Amino acid sequence: MNRLGWAGVLRRAVLIAAGLAWLVPIYLLVVNAVRPSAAFTGTNEWTLPSSFGLFENVATAEQASGLAGSLASTALYSIVSPALAVVIGALAGFGVSVLQPRRPFFWFMVAFGGAVFPAQMLLVPLFVAYAQLNLYNTPQGLVIVYTALSVPLAALVLRNFFGGVPPHLFQAAQIDGASLWTTFWRIYMPVAWSALVAVFILEFTFIWNDLLFGLTLASSNSVRPVMPALASLQSAYGGSTIPVVLAGGIVASLPPVVVFLAAQRFFARGLTLSQVAEA
Amino acid sequence: MTRSNVTHTTRQKLAAVALSLVPGAIGLNAVATNTAQAAPATTIKLYNDKGAWDKYFAAVGNLAKKDIGVAVQPVGYTNEDTYDALIDASFRTHIKPNVFTWHTGAQLQEVVKQGDLASTSSIWKQGIADGDLTTGVEKYYTVDGRQYCVPLYVSYYVMYYNKDIFAKYHLAPPSTWAELLQVAKTLKQHGVTPFYATDVLFSFLWFEQLLVGSNPTLYNNLESGKASYLSPGVVAVMKEWRTLIDDGYFTNPAITTAPQVLLKTGAVAMEPWGTWFTGNMKLVDAPPSSYGMFVIPPENTHLAKVPMIFETGPICVPTGAPDMSADMKFLKWWTTPAPESYWASVTSDTGADPKAAAPSASIAAIDKYASGPKVQVVNRYYEATPAPILNTALSELGAFMVNPNSYMSDLKTIQATAAQYWSSHSAS
Amino acid sequence: MARVRLAPRSPKPQVAKPLATAPFIAPAVLVVVALMYLPFLYSVYISFTSYNGLGAPRWDGIANYVQLFHDPEMADAIRNTAVWVAGGVVVPVVLGLGLAVLTYGMRHGPWYRLPFLLPYAMSGAGIAVIWGFILQPGGAFGDILKLLGIPGSSTAWLSYWPDSTLAMVVASAWQATGVNCLLFVVGLQAVPVAVLEAAEIDGAKAFTKFVRVTLPLLRPMTIVVVGLAIVGTLKTFDIVWVMTQGGPGYTSTTLATAMYSQTFVANSYGYGAAIAVLLTVVTGLASATYLKQQVQVGAAKR
Repeated sequence: MNRLGWAGVLRRAVLIAAGLAWLVPIYLLVVNAVRPSAAFTGTNEWTLPSSFGLFENVATAEQASGLAGSLASTALYSIVSPALAVVIGALAGFGVSVLQPRRPFFWFMVAFGGAVFPAQMLLVPLFVAYAQLNLYNTPQGLVIVYTALSVPLAALVLRNFFGGVPPHLFQAAQIDGASLWTTFWRIYMPVAWSALVAVFILEFTFIWNDLLFGLTLASSNSVRPVMPALASLQSAYGGSTIPVVLAGGIVASLPPVVVFLAAQRFFARGLTLSQVAEA
Repeated sequence: MTRSNVTHTTRQKLAAVALSLVPGAIGLNAVATNTAQAAPATTIKLYNDKGAWDKYFAAVGNLAKKDIGVAVQPVGYTNEDTYDALIDASFRTHIKPNVFTWHTGAQLQEVVKQGDLASTSSIWKQGIADGDLTTGVEKYYTVDGRQYCVPLYVSYYVMYYNKDIFAKYHLAPPSTWAELLQVAKTLKQHGVTPFYATDVLFSFLWFEQLLVGSNPTLYNNLESGKASYLSPGVVAVMKEWRTLIDDGYFTNPAITTAPQVLLKTGAVAMEPWGTWFTGNMKLVDAPPSSYGMFVIPPENTHLAKVPMIFETGPICVPTGAPDMSADMKFLKWWTTPAPESYWASVTSDTGADPKAAAPSASIAAIDKYASGPKVQVVNRYYEATPAPILNTALSELGAFMVNPNSYMSDLKTIQATAAQYWSSHSAS
Repeated sequence: MARVRLAPRSPKPQVAKPLATAPFIAPAVLVVVALMYLPFLYSVYISFTSYNGLGAPRWDGIANYVQLFHDPEMADAIRNTAVWVAGGVVVPVVLGLGLAVLTYGMRHGPWYRLPFLLPYAMSGAGIAVIWGFILQPGGAFGDILKLLGIPGSSTAWLSYWPDSTLAMVVASAWQATGVNCLLFVVGLQAVPVAVLEAAEIDGAKAFTKFVRVTLPLLRPMTIVVVGLAIVGTLKTFDIVWVMTQGGPGYTSTTLATAMYSQTFVANSYGYGAAIAVLLTVVTGLASATYLKQQVQVGAAKR
């Protein structure tokens, strides 16, 4: 399998070329975040900087935006909400595709349909509702809305995943006298592990990068996630220079990048259904 | 002035959940806020759409805490549009800001008409008597004879220019329109781009500047719905603008590099901005001696006064705001010289108080000139134009800058929206 | 090891009482209905009114919808949205699939995939800043063109249609490809290893094997990827708004940006809500049609 024939070389060459092309914008991002703020002229974006200004830029970004303080709350939202959403979505996926209720597609579309609404449309009604329910500017308020935003994707992926699982698994569990819940939690969830983790990681990143809901539904810096703080760096009225904005962006985006790196190892070792069938 | 009990409970809850970084208790009765030394400080929330100014607000807040026992916590938004929508929505809920930044013009009038703003007439009366506020600015804060809000800042629009480039080609700041064009021509001959074209957000700037420079009355009529965008005077302005673009006097409007960087590096020689732009130049460490400002001369030499575009941002208190007396105290304090001077020094821009120290001699000079008898101040297009018309105009003027030959169809599109708006709102 | 039949025969027997399934489906339905459908219903109500955010909405009947059909900005918005769906679904999905297949099972596969995954971790506004940077006249993209000797190095890509929309579709695809690749990699794990090995060794017939065997087995994940791509591109907002605000003029506006500018910039909440309803209906129909069709195709093949 690891023989490197011409096909293998070609494959690697294509991948490397494509990968390098993909990295060009990232190169620009990093190079200009490292460039000292005063050295940025708008026309020298390709050149390597003559001195290392990344830490000063990060410090300036932090001073101007206070983004360090929001990292903790952002972590809270990005971990708790996707975790809840993944379980809720898996429950629904299981219910719809394995348990065969009446009109399974209809109920599935109701859950998935949440993905269809544009975020901006939800802002003002949610703001008014949150104000009246005393959820405004509370961590629980944000956890709830982020969970709701993440459920549709989880439902979609898990419903499709469970739909591909052989039904004899379910029948075997029934014969063994397992309750529906135990079947779900002890048998189907472990099978779906790699799908669950994939969805979790995608949602983690999505919520980490959220700007609008954090901006709208919270007002304190300690409750708001990190992107609203970062956004304050870019403004016609005294916004920061490009290197500072980019440096702040790198620091704010570091956790999702790290999570992706960690997840890569996991995916390489993921379960396959054929292994499950053997069990 | 009453406070609702529901607001109290909510504020306690918000305070408990949200912030532990606010030292001291949240004062709940008027007595505590009136005796600054005896009682712990009240904290008020300053909602604003100038998110990048967070640290300035925080700094001023510390000063306020020392001076009058009112601490300020800024709640910054950077997206002006969603900020406006949220403030509008907040009037219907009990989540009211203590104080918030807003806009003059149509948006001020609409909010006043709904009864959502607390009046500040007494502050203005006192301020004018003390010389801290001027009648020239007052009229932008007056609706139906009463005043609302106080000025957070006041900026005049001038032309920023790169002194080094001017020195290199032996050019002096022009005092007439003809001289300005001559300067532009000379720069162009030497391969320097004379004017900054602005991005879509400020696409109204050159339009307004050219229009008030030829006929300020027409501009005011346009803004109040009494004149059409297809009037000969307006069409003539677009034609002239097109000529300047075709002569190559402008930067490419698609450039995304920040204007302060362009001016500092000399990629462009002149940029029209409000005097708050000095803060932007400071941010990129431009040496103060390398750039300057001059008043943009009007094209029409027969005008009685020199028109200058004027931008002022109000801070306001909504009706039913929590801690009303602390809020009003803060507004009153804001109009005095000390905070104004402090604000001017941190933002490098002017406040509304003529008695406050200006951040620099050049800004002081501009201020003095602009509030003097030779100048007719006109409100900025962005504030003076009703929102639906503004939305269309910004878009169409942006399209014009990319394709100047489309000026007639652009004007027609704007006029269509304007006609629709004014037919359902009486021309004031 | 017996070959696993992954697709069950239809019709499936009723395996549980309907009431028993309710607690499984209910949490998802409840949370989505409360947080999303209810605000949407409010927007539907507003779409029949004239409202500027202050005071009370004024009932207007279907006036906003009538205006939708006469508004030239809407024609531009629909046209661009169609371009977004076509480009934004095809390109990232095909590229993602190709990358997944190429890297799956390779030693150091995860490292080859990494450059494509990094962009997803960036925020939409961050991407817009970088690409705005790249696409401006005299920007990095122009430099590359100059280097390769292709004309157009000083073109303002974002100032003219269709370049503006196409350029933004490219920027969006740059971000979305990695995610699709990741999902396809997960999907490939459902394909028995023997199939993939055979395809790799058998050079000449690999492509046929891929189309006839691997692709059908990937169906569950393909449905997810394409379904999400349809919804995602229809809702794309950040990139367009930060890069061009839908301009110049309305040349690069989409339904999503038009909804936003009418609601939040023009303060015409009623009209903006009507556009939002239109966008939601289009998105809902498109995704429901696609998903339903996939379910039927899948059932027919069993």
